[in-house]
Amino acid sequence: MKSKSYTNLVVIISLFLAYLLAIVPLPDWAMNWRPQWVLMFVFYWTMALPYRVGLGFAWAAGLLLDVLEGTMLGLNAFTLLIVAYVTLSLHQRLRMYNPIQQSGLLFVLSLVALGLGHWLRVISGQIEPVDSMYLLAAFSSATIWPALFSLLRSIRRRFINN
Amino acid sequence: MFADNRFGYLDSVRFILSYTATPVYWVADMPARTSEFFDDVFVSHSDLLAENERLTNELLLAQRELQVLASLASENSRLRALTEAARIVEGEVLAAEIVNRSPERASKRVLINRGALHGVFVGQAMLAADGLMGQVVEVMPRSSWVLLISDPLHITPVEVNRNGELALARGVRGETDELELEFVTQTQDVHPGDLLVSSGMGQIYPKNFPVADVVSVDNDPGQDFAIIKARPRAKINSTRHVMLLIPPKQEVQL
Repeated sequence: MKSKSYTNLVVIISLFLAYLLAIVPLPDWAMNWRPQWVLMFVFYWTMALPYRVGLGFAWAAGLLLDVLEGTMLGLNAFTLLIVAYVTLSLHQRLRMYNPIQQSGLLFVLSLVALGLGHWLRVISGQIEPVDSMYLLAAFSSATIWPALFSLLRSIRRRFINN
Repeated sequence: MFADNRFGYLDSVRFILSYTATPVYWVADMPARTSEFFDDVFVSHSDLLAENERLTNELLLAQRELQVLASLASENSRLRALTEAARIVEGEVLAAEIVNRSPERASKRVLINRGALHGVFVGQAMLAADGLMGQVVEVMPRSSWVLLISDPLHITPVEVNRNGELALARGVRGETDELELEFVTQTQDVHPGDLLVSSGMGQIYPKNFPVADVVSVDNDPGQDFAIIKARPRAKINSTRHVMLLIPPKQEVQL
């Protein structure tokens, strides 16, 4: 039997990868297309392990992302909290969906998170409002989701058995 | 969020949390460091010779210019002594490397690999070899965020090198790296090609450091002010090696 601390380890390592992908420098044209990696990983883990990974986890993950991105402390924590809340309340239904249907919900959540994040940055005076091209990240996130889902599921089945 | 934005007391929390960020930055920068390493290792002999020759020539040129500059500086200091103006403070620099940039397109900020442990502080000026780059806005233990002069929320106090006209240069909103001079009336003497240097007002940037070249001046009689665009001297998107200015300890004499 594998122990429970194994679960934490897998979740934390996967989240570390998500952070890497979230801040690795990209060329200009790709900046708006960068998928929301941390959001997707939080989405997966709250759906797959709702009894282990909850709102507190999402909040902490968002807080660390704030530090990494140098944004106002609590901004990503807030948006990820909303994502985790919706996912938690729908997780039983979500598990029945196929990955394409899941990416539909992920798309909506991603749009909400992006829009809210941008709006909060603007009203807090961190950036000047720009065009809406930053919302393109929701498309790329939803597109990549089925592949990421099967990858994470195989990782979960391989390393976590409870 | 509100607390972080409006009050300072979360700064220490943020600072401690940043320790966890260091390994992520380190790994994220690996591709760039690896490619630089291979560039250094696999260089042919002839390339090295050619580079050596080029660098020697550049050094000669620079030394010649330095001679001229030295005479100018001494002349300048004599003139300043006459007018009893404040002395230009010259500081040492701390070399740094840009390791990342803000994932946000709307904010033009970069991450450098020097932090509080190296003595970086908020408000420190960052320079590239060919021009002003920006100022430090957030310090973490081993890295810091620098706001570039092309960010639309950043305003650089500048003056026209030719005649000393003062102006404020703000970053242009959007994808470009251009600056825009604000509140310059249409009768002021600014022309395309003029060099803008930092005016030293605001006490953050050193005086007379090159900032940008004026590229266009648009005098529309219907507008209150002239629309003046300038391009930064520093290659803001392609520079990796930068300098942080260390101001000397209160050497200003009046």
